[in-house]
Amino acid sequence: MMPPLRPIVDGLTRQRGVRASLIVSEQDGLIIESSLRFGQDGDRVAALAASMYRKARLSAAAACLGAVAFLQLDAEQGRMCAVGGRSDFVIVVIADPGANVGLIRVELFKALEMLA
Amino acid sequence: MNIATVESWIEAPLKRYLDDVHAQLALLLHPSGQVLAQAGFTREVDVMSACALAAAVHATGGELGRQVEGSAFRGLHYAGPSKQLFLAPLTTSRGTFVCLTVFDDTSSLGLVRLYFDELARALASAAPPLPVRSTPGPFVDFEADLNRNLAALFGRDEVV
Repeated sequence: MMPPLRPIVDGLTRQRGVRASLIVSEQDGLIIESSLRFGQDGDRVAALAASMYRKARLSAAAACLGAVAFLQLDAEQGRMCAVGGRSDFVIVVIADPGANVGLIRVELFKALEMLA
Repeated sequence: MNIATVESWIEAPLKRYLDDVHAQLALLLHPSGQVLAQAGFTREVDVMSACALAAAVHATGGELGRQVEGSAFRGLHYAGPSKQLFLAPLTTSRGTFVCLTVFDDTSSLGLVRLYFDELARALASAAPPLPVRSTPGPFVDFEADLNRNLAALFGRDEVV
């Protein structure tokens, strides 16, 4: 049975430096559940993050690298981290530049286990 | 992808949209079924039938939405085994148009919806004002308009 999704995204967003977290359908690019700070366009983030994760997964497969474990995008004003691959779910976190990526990574994998 | 438009202001926004969503086929049409732009089609007869069907689906979905929710549904999505379609209206100063987008699993519904909103905004800002006509307005003579638009899209002389 599917666990409630709201506590999962709320738990991720409570991490220091995390601005938003989303559970997204990789295939459709649509939000399944999200915890966003005011002013963020969740639909846009979900569609583009799912597309990016999917392309990363296909690129890794094409290069015979196996499954994508953890995807991290560093940008000027923050970073995006994503995990997925166990189902159609991709879990996405948007964080400040100074956020602890190691901790976010651990929490993302814990969240993925809960969804599996 | 080869794009053909009846009016030039449609071309740039539509091309950007199709590039962004990796669409396989697209149509922009008047709700009556008259084509304004097409991308990916090679045969005129396919455009005609796709426009007629898209207009019918749009009208049916709109009426169903009005009966269920009191207002027309904004968009319609159908997911087939390998291809999906998204059909939604957009409004410009030239009136309301319907856009049919066919895409496969290299894109996603989320991306198509995202970029469709951008297409709607781009077309709304690119559309020139509707000219004042002393003669009967557009789409009054349906068949003549349809033939003229298809002739423009497929580069042939209009059949009189």
